[in-house]
Amino acid sequence: MTTSPTQYAHPEALVDAEWLEKHLNDDGIRIIESNEDILLYDTGHIPGAVHIDWRSDLQDQVIRDYIAPEKFSELCSRNGISPETTCIFYGDKANWWACYALWAFRLFGHEKVKILNGGRDKWKTDGRPVTREVPKFPQTNYPVPKKRLDKEIRAFADEALAQSKAGQPLIDVRSPGEFKGEITHMAEYPQEGVLRGGHIPGAKSVPWKTAANDDSTFKPPSELAKIYLEQCGLKPGTDTVVYCRIGERSSHTWFVLTYLLGLDNVRNYDGSWTEWGNKVGAPIEKSA
Amino acid sequence: MYPPKLEAIINLFESLPEIERRETLVSYADNAKKQEPRPGEIFNLEDVRKDEECADTVGVYLQVDDEGKAHFRMTLGPEVQTLTRAMTAILCKGLDGRTPQEVLELPSDFVTRIVGAELVRVRSQTIYYVLTRIKGICKVYLDRQRMAEVA
Repeated sequence: MTTSPTQYAHPEALVDAEWLEKHLNDDGIRIIESNEDILLYDTGHIPGAVHIDWRSDLQDQVIRDYIAPEKFSELCSRNGISPETTCIFYGDKANWWACYALWAFRLFGHEKVKILNGGRDKWKTDGRPVTREVPKFPQTNYPVPKKRLDKEIRAFADEALAQSKAGQPLIDVRSPGEFKGEITHMAEYPQEGVLRGGHIPGAKSVPWKTAANDDSTFKPPSELAKIYLEQCGLKPGTDTVVYCRIGERSSHTWFVLTYLLGLDNVRNYDGSWTEWGNKVGAPIEKSA
Repeated sequence: MYPPKLEAIINLFESLPEIERRETLVSYADNAKKQEPRPGEIFNLEDVRKDEECADTVGVYLQVDDEGKAHFRMTLGPEVQTLTRAMTAILCKGLDGRTPQEVLELPSDFVTRIVGAELVRVRSQTIYYVLTRIKGICKVYLDRQRMAEVA
């Protein structure tokens, strides 16, 4: 892998707004909006987009975990998605939740996934069309996935600990204040119930925003390579674990590393700091 | 227990099925801009600031009329979430005409009755923020009144 690439490793994983506006009614694609603002989709969305909510649709409602494969099958079927459907995700907050939903779809083995570069913010800023009309698609019969890819793209607390002890790459994508332990919540956000501040020992601080331009699009390949390969020292083939507070910002970085830089073996520790910062006996560093 | 205007709004939301509840919240959010100060209006207190727990600047404007009744105006920055916008319109309407003391004593347990359990989650807790700010400006008003009386 060159350290100064001129194109993304998987350019097909991104679509831009101009392309999408011309292909809104294409067969074989489903546009999926996923947001932090729960009612944002209801206020207006890209024509033909369906809404998938990170919590009520993708997470189990009792256990802190993702839905069972049967529920994923139901979710896709009622949104007219088949295994051959190309799912194009977009949302607010520079695509945090879009990347999270994409990552969750990958957990269930759905392969045809893309991100709308710039997300909802850029689509609106560009003055592109939005509607409040909720689309209806013919029900499909999405087969129940045989397994979730928990081993392949997801890390659990014990695996993050093993990563830390082995000195393998751990990327903390939260803000510097959270990383240092100066604050126990995101700036401008309410508390999410964390007892301890700091970071997993050995983790490097590379805030998610490092990978994004001000218009919410991803930075060009050469800049991403400089940040993650040159400055952070990540290498292809090396196990890498990314984390944040609840797994959404780290999904953004997971997408960057996996699809834009083409690193394999990147896993998202979705338990993140709301698990680690509360976990009895979990080692914590507070250094800068 | 609640001001009549607010009680009517609570009852309306509790009678709605989930889809209509969402639609009505979006409708209130659409109307949040109508709660902004109008040209020529004069206020007893203005409190415009951006707190850490809110995504953008929120302004609260209090006018207390000759009968001691409070009237509120609010401004919201573009990053404020939809639920918070909805709550702004609901509270400006529901609390209009109450005294600052009545507003200060209002319990906050009605919020979930309006929003519904499905939409209340950790990252939407700023729906309580608007009520906190409205109560805050009422408290400052009352404190100043008391200080003026003592003086």
